Amino acid sequence: MTGLDQLQYLSWLLYLFVFVAVLARTIRRPTPAHLDMTLFFGAIAILIVLSTVTAKLHVAPPPWVTALTGAAALSLGYLLLRLVRDFSDVPTLAMRATEVGLVVSVVGISFWPTPLPPTFALLLVAYMVAVIAYATLAFARLAARMPGVTRRRMQAAAAGSLCLTLALVVAGLGVGFSDFAGLWEELSAAVGLASGVCYFVAFAPPTWLRHAWQEPELRAFLAGAGSLSRLPDLRSIVHELERGAASALGAPAASIALWDPDTRRLHGYYPPTDPDVAAEQPDGEHVKDGENGEDGAWELDPAAHPVSALGFVNQRPTLVTDLLQMDPANAALFKKYNARTLISAPITASTRRVGLLLVYAPRAPVFANSDLELVQLLADQAAVILQSRALVNEAAHVAAREEAARLKEDFLSSAAHDLKTPLTGIVTQAQLLLRRHERDPAAPADAVGLNRLVEQSQRLRNLVVGLLDVSRLEHPGLVGARAEADLRTLVQEAVSHAALSGGKRVKLEVPPQPVLAEVDVQRFEQVLTNLVENALKYSPHDSRVIVRVWQADAEARLSVQDRGIGVPVEDQPLVFERFHRARNVDDRRFAGMGLGLYIARGIVEQHGGRIWLDSTPGAGSTFFVALPAVAPGSAETNAIEGMQVASA
Amino acid sequence: MPERPILVVDDDPTILATVSEVLDMEGFAVVTATNGAEALAAVDHAVPSLVLLDMRMPVLDGWGFMRAIRERGLTLTVVVMTAAADARRWGREIGAEGVLAKPFDIDELVRAVQHWRPHGTGET
Repeated sequence: MTGLDQLQYLSWLLYLFVFVAVLARTIRRPTPAHLDMTLFFGAIAILIVLSTVTAKLHVAPPPWVTALTGAAALSLGYLLLRLVRDFSDVPTLAMRATEVGLVVSVVGISFWPTPLPPTFALLLVAYMVAVIAYATLAFARLAARMPGVTRRRMQAAAAGSLCLTLALVVAGLGVGFSDFAGLWEELSAAVGLASGVCYFVAFAPPTWLRHAWQEPELRAFLAGAGSLSRLPDLRSIVHELERGAASALGAPAASIALWDPDTRRLHGYYPPTDPDVAAEQPDGEHVKDGENGEDGAWELDPAAHPVSALGFVNQRPTLVTDLLQMDPANAALFKKYNARTLISAPITASTRRVGLLLVYAPRAPVFANSDLELVQLLADQAAVILQSRALVNEAAHVAAREEAARLKEDFLSSAAHDLKTPLTGIVTQAQLLLRRHERDPAAPADAVGLNRLVEQSQRLRNLVVGLLDVSRLEHPGLVGARAEADLRTLVQEAVSHAALSGGKRVKLEVPPQPVLAEVDVQRFEQVLTNLVENALKYSPHDSRVIVRVWQADAEARLSVQDRGIGVPVEDQPLVFERFHRARNVDDRRFAGMGLGLYIARGIVEQHGGRIWLDSTPGAGSTFFVALPAVAPGSAETNAIEGMQVASA
Repeated sequence: MPERPILVVDDDPTILATVSEVLDMEGFAVVTATNGAEALAAVDHAVPSLVLLDMRMPVLDGWGFMRAIRERGLTLTVVVMTAAADARRWGREIGAEGVLAKPFDIDELVRAVQHWRPHGTGET
């Protein structure tokens, strides 16, 4: 036996072995994909057996044998295309054309007297080459699109088809240039063996090989899994887990849905929109918001979608090979996401149901039975990560609660301290006045002492009112009924109030037309008075305070600008906080409680507005307030309507 | 020998004024300071018989003042005068003789001064 013969026998044996293997698997689990594999390798087996027997017997084969051999050879391309279709879509036109070509060529070789005319023989070879080359390209495209183990399988399928194409080209050349028969045979045997090996690993990979191919992705997933729980938000963690699971399985997509025991729904997020992936979708539809309106979120009711949630309902990993058939009610959804087959596995931490891991693929053969264990392994890993995330969250909640309690305690003790100080002044001053009067009833009234008494009483009153406002700020009730008002008028009033205490150094800049907003006039005047009084308090007595009102887009705005001490940069974000006073404020000069701006912010925010500041230490501050504007003109319309009513 | 004064330290001008006026009316010599630094200057000028000390003050607070006094090797009789809830603890921390919690009335003030002011150092 020559080396060439050995090579040939080896490749034949390989093909026969693969045929037996896929046949056994098809009998165990008769899916369309398994049937296609059996047909493909069956055709090759027929080809091998018939040609070997014919060659060994050294007789001219009967015509039916020749016809059967020819038909088996010609059907290879068509059967390969069916295998392509098991992994992705094949245009119907290409499928039909291949079928027609197959019928024509089989009829041709059956009724044409042998030997075939060379033109027809060459046409047959060209047909085969075209079909198999098409399959090669289709597998190569799939290999580029799919991740992990499926990518490797598709690469092997593409390589096998390339070898088969080469084998056909070589056979064609053998017919054309029969001078080098030995060389052609040798080449043909070699590429035949190569294609056999490739097809074997592509369509019937043994479990150990599958696992070996899955290992790098699995390793990468596990290596990164430890740090996942430190990602900033749950959504990112879920997306990383989904990506890891999809790539480990060699599937295009995976989803994690988290169980909410209150609503009895599984909640998931759509992946962030990736323009490349979106373009790949058959209908070109971008993945966006879910049925529930919340951006990018979807939910699944296990009772309503029992097929998708099978892994969750049964609490064990489950493979569904044909979603469209099993769950026709949701066929449109599955088609939209190009999902025909699904493995779902429960994510369960000890006994607590955390959620469900779903791994989708467009075609069933992407998965093998052994993948069920793998998906469960990934789901268990996800359970550990999500559980530890939950613990981290819980710790954060406890810390936040403690912080809130501490802030409240601080608030109470600061409030008590601030109340006691003027109270001490009032008590001692009043007793002092009384004692003086008792000792010398004829003495003139102590104007200085009385003045102090009044000042401290006012201070205490302001503080009590402020504290009451603060306690009401926690609830939305601080701001009462709102009415449309012209900010120009409100500012005018606040300035004339402030002018009483601060002299006539406030300058007003207002536009000629009204600037309207809906405000609780009393509360909003409190904000304005506070801002203007602050400006007067923290700036030199001879400097100007400028108050402006204007309309900006959909906002009614105002600003209060002073040329005072300014707010240090590090204090700027804090000036609107409770009891915060900037560190450059001298307590003796500026008696204040540190509540004014906090209350102002609360009032503005309860109006749906914003308050902020722009300040340069030493050069002055400008406080801004923006409220949602009332469309200009609506007030005029109302006025006109009112007039009509009045005149009618 | 002139009477050693009582030093009143508080950043609140009203409290400072009323306390010193009450003590003045009761016949004590009084000096005032609005923060720890002014109080130190007053101590350097004349060692007081008693210090009524507010704790939270700008520039130099009560703790800073007491540290400086220890560094000078002086021993003063101090009564802490504060509105804080931690008045007693703070008093112990700085080694004060007594605590006068705000708000107090003038009888309490006078009693405290008479109680803690070392005897025989002043009243004529």
